[in-house]
Amino acid sequence: MTATTHIPSRVGVFGSFWRDANAVQKAAALIGVTLVLMAVLAQAIAPYDPLQQSLISRLRPPQGFERHKPGFLLGTDELGRDVLSRSLFGLQLTLGLALAGACLGLLIGGTLGLLAGLRRGWAEDVTMAAVDLQIAVPFTLLALLILALFGTSLTVMVCVLGIAGWEQYARIVRAEVRKITELPFIEAARASGGGQRYVALTHVLPNIVSPLVVQFTLSFSNIVILESTLSFLGLGVQPPTATLGTMVGYGRDYMPTAPWLVIAPAALIVLITFSVQILGDWLRDRADVRLRVR
Amino acid sequence: MKTILMTMAATLLAGTAFAQSITVGAANISDYLDPGRDHSNVGSQFYYNSFDTLIDRDHSKLEPEWVPALATEWKLLDDTTMELKLREGVKFHNGEDMTADDVIFSLNRMYQATFAPYLVRSKDRLSNFAEAVKVDNYTVQIKVERPEPLWETLVSLQQVMIIPEDYTKALSGDPEVAEDGDFEAFSLAPVGTGPYAISEFVPGQKLIYSRFDGFWGEQAPLEQATVIRIPETASRITALKTGEADIVTNIAPDQLDLINADPNLKTEGSATALFHVMIMNVNHPNLTDPKLRQALSLAIDRDLLNDALWLGKAVVPSSHTMEEMGELHMPELTTFEYDPEQARKLLAESSYDGEEIVFDAYPVYYTNGVLAAQAITEMWAEVGIKGRVNVSEQWTGSSPEMMTRSWSNPMYFADPFGSFGVMWAPDAASEGAGRFNTDEEYREIWDRFRFSADLEDRKAAYVELMDRIKQDPPVLPLYRPFESWGMHQGINWKPQPGHIPYVLDFRAGAISLADS
Amino acid sequence: MTLYVLRTLAKMALTLLTIITLVFFAARLSGSPLDTFLGDGLTEEDRALMIEYFGLERSVWHQYIAYLRGILDGNFGLSFMERRPVAEIVAERIGPSLQLLGSAIALTLAVSVPLGVVAALWRDSWVGSAVMALAFTGYAVPNFVIATFMVLIFAFVLNWLPVVGNGTALHFIMPTIAMSGVLIAALTRFTRNAMLDVLGQDFMRTARAKGLPETVVILKHGLRNAGVTVLSVLGLQIAGMAAAGNVVIEAIFSWPGIGELLVSAAIIRDYPVLQFGVIAVAFAVVTINALTDIAYVIADPRIRMAKG
Repeated sequence: MTATTHIPSRVGVFGSFWRDANAVQKAAALIGVTLVLMAVLAQAIAPYDPLQQSLISRLRPPQGFERHKPGFLLGTDELGRDVLSRSLFGLQLTLGLALAGACLGLLIGGTLGLLAGLRRGWAEDVTMAAVDLQIAVPFTLLALLILALFGTSLTVMVCVLGIAGWEQYARIVRAEVRKITELPFIEAARASGGGQRYVALTHVLPNIVSPLVVQFTLSFSNIVILESTLSFLGLGVQPPTATLGTMVGYGRDYMPTAPWLVIAPAALIVLITFSVQILGDWLRDRADVRLRVR
Repeated sequence: MKTILMTMAATLLAGTAFAQSITVGAANISDYLDPGRDHSNVGSQFYYNSFDTLIDRDHSKLEPEWVPALATEWKLLDDTTMELKLREGVKFHNGEDMTADDVIFSLNRMYQATFAPYLVRSKDRLSNFAEAVKVDNYTVQIKVERPEPLWETLVSLQQVMIIPEDYTKALSGDPEVAEDGDFEAFSLAPVGTGPYAISEFVPGQKLIYSRFDGFWGEQAPLEQATVIRIPETASRITALKTGEADIVTNIAPDQLDLINADPNLKTEGSATALFHVMIMNVNHPNLTDPKLRQALSLAIDRDLLNDALWLGKAVVPSSHTMEEMGELHMPELTTFEYDPEQARKLLAESSYDGEEIVFDAYPVYYTNGVLAAQAITEMWAEVGIKGRVNVSEQWTGSSPEMMTRSWSNPMYFADPFGSFGVMWAPDAASEGAGRFNTDEEYREIWDRFRFSADLEDRKAAYVELMDRIKQDPPVLPLYRPFESWGMHQGINWKPQPGHIPYVLDFRAGAISLADS
Repeated sequence: MTLYVLRTLAKMALTLLTIITLVFFAARLSGSPLDTFLGDGLTEEDRALMIEYFGLERSVWHQYIAYLRGILDGNFGLSFMERRPVAEIVAERIGPSLQLLGSAIALTLAVSVPLGVVAALWRDSWVGSAVMALAFTGYAVPNFVIATFMVLIFAFVLNWLPVVGNGTALHFIMPTIAMSGVLIAALTRFTRNAMLDVLGQDFMRTARAKGLPETVVILKHGLRNAGVTVLSVLGLQIAGMAAAGNVVIEAIFSWPGIGELLVSAAIIRDYPVLQFGVIAVAFAVVTINALTDIAYVIADPRIRMAKG
């Protein structure tokens, strides 16, 4: 995981990326692509309807074990549903929720950060105060409160995940904007009559893309973990729909007797966060971005 | 490694293995302990060890056999008055003597309730009870409004267990007056006359029973019993395995094999005197047509639910009736059945037009609750009803938007009044919540059922009530859940048939520890 | 310096007031809190009685003012569920949480600082890569997964460790490890990066040039300077992550702490408890942050000058 030194500060083309990667990074990339493909193609590759119950064949172990049910590769769950199909759909939902949440966070944080950086004055004060506020309350608690108050639905969940990481984007964007707007060429652009928006679009945005991509990747795995944790605690999406976290949470009661209910979804969660973490770190090294804690 | 750790653990966890002490891992522990205001399934676990009623019953028997408790004898003076002789020399856990003053204080706090939580219980089961009067220090009279067919039953309720007057009144404010604050304080520091004093109570977390040497009856078999809360099923079973708990509550049938496979452990269970039910809001705009509600009910294969989720150990009833009700147990009635053909037919005739029917369920409160909810919506789909499960801790049963949901109808006392009545009598819980309606005819039938002196008249009236429920159904009892307790081999304990659901009875004769 | 401290304190108070206000109004926005409590067999009349009992019939503004006034008197209201003062309930729970937090932080520091230093010093060898791979794994495995599998193996199968509550020292082992996993991963990475930054600095070269032994250079100059960064991370990230970890870990191990309390309060919608819990934890985090800020300034004079 040692960083390759002296690389240009812009995200390069994929080819050079791959060449410079070490084995772990390549593996992470492959895992990541596989997971995304599995999620996207869930409808096509899942052998069964993930909601199809069969009360007479509940809790059957995976293929190869005693009492297994032919055709159900990873066994069946507490309502006789196919664990493999549920895991695939769970993966789809987990990744979808995390993606939606991360995008929402990027949108909110990016916009506020941009405003704060360009406008300064009260816009900056308010944004930074909100950032401080967000940091003061550990997010899991805030999420508990929001889910308790507004119930558990997909929309609420996406909002919760979205506001989970916005303050990071806001801080990064604001800092980058300030740094960039003080550079001579921006001063020149401004002097030559470019408006705020013009400056923002032509000069600032291209320059903050790479730190944002890196932050997006890093926060993505945090969001996956947050969603899984909330679902594990029973505060996630509603049954019969399940994310990976829900499957682990509900499956936990059967842990000693039917560990396959937990192993498949738990392994998928770990694979997601692991590969995303490594990819994020790799991107960061490549982009040579210093993401500071403060 | 293992030996060292286990020795350490044994030393650190000392107490459980040696003295006559046990630790119980309970899924839930009450947030307060006051037998009067409580009628929850969680609370009913805890009162019988520490409190007494005037009249008790032999809990080892299914049929009621009344036995003297704090009253040694009782007789009816007339239709509406019972006179009871109190046991002398009874002491409360705090050392006070129990006299008629304590008894009438305890009874009248319910009969003439002013404290809101008492009022609720007083209305739903004790509304016929007017007052308790002191005759002398060891004689009291209880007066009712109308001749009461269920005298002993209603005098042996958990809600009318006896608590000390002076102690309670002195808990807050004016020591001479019973204020709301006194009852609030009592529920955190409860005192009774039973064989175990509650020596420590951390609401929702922990409860310690200690043997009360001043108990009037046979001494408690255990020196101490500690109840700790272990909400997660997996943790409860693990705690049983690691020896952190000697008994654990609320074990689902799926887990029984796991415990029984361990030679040191065993399980005891019974089909509890309680129905898991599905309720239907008769006043929801989409559900006003009785045919639709009949279809919702007929579509559910309760035997399959029983076989799959309860391994066939639950009991599926044909009517809202239980064997505990003795003469009034009427299994011959067919109020509820499974008939998908009929369901499809009624559905076609009904106003149903593909609307989504929401089934609300608590996430963990009822064993297998969420699983049953999901299976039920699948069964609906089979006959062409579109269902959706909504899992939430929110109690939606009083909301006009509620369509269907899971609930329970426990047997609060051994009479149809004590299970069906508390929930479905006129103005009782269901009608009060706005999801069930009664009319003049229903009221008249109920009145006959409630107050007829002749058992046959009561039975006939109950048949009519069940017929009304069948024609315009607001409820479907799913089954009596099979509730199990896991424990170490050395413990002789099992649920007794004469108790209301979930009672952890640790009195003499109910539990013993093998010498090991 | 005094000015800086005062400003930090003022900011802290303002943050807390804002949090209290937001939490209070959010709670009132979402409908009647009593729905959850009117469970089996209660009627509309009972609801009315309960509303009066908890003072919910007054306007939201009245309730808000009353709540703020209560807080000044140290009265945070009654729990809906337990009907006793919230502060009393939370007070019972705070000790166990702090014990667990303390042991997790101790374990984290003991493991991750040496690991981070090792990873930085041997950054180009397999040792460094192995440490970092471990750190990634720790970061990738959610603590509830670690906890679930540990319980299965060490308690259920092997019967080595207890799983319920905080009775003895043995009870601390699994929750502490489960909670520390992610913290160790995070802090190892931060320590490594901070050390790498420091190792390249001029004063390190100077120290070496002066002929000081390498261990002294690293421990005295390197670690001490990297420590500033590590300290700030500990204050900020760790407090947040630990609070999050507490919630899940306490629920899994029936640990009688704040996290377990708040999860059940969230599930049954006991708003007064949840409100106070969020406020109390926010207070703790804000305080830790403020203290870290001040400590940070004291430790590194350059920042003091920059911050003014």
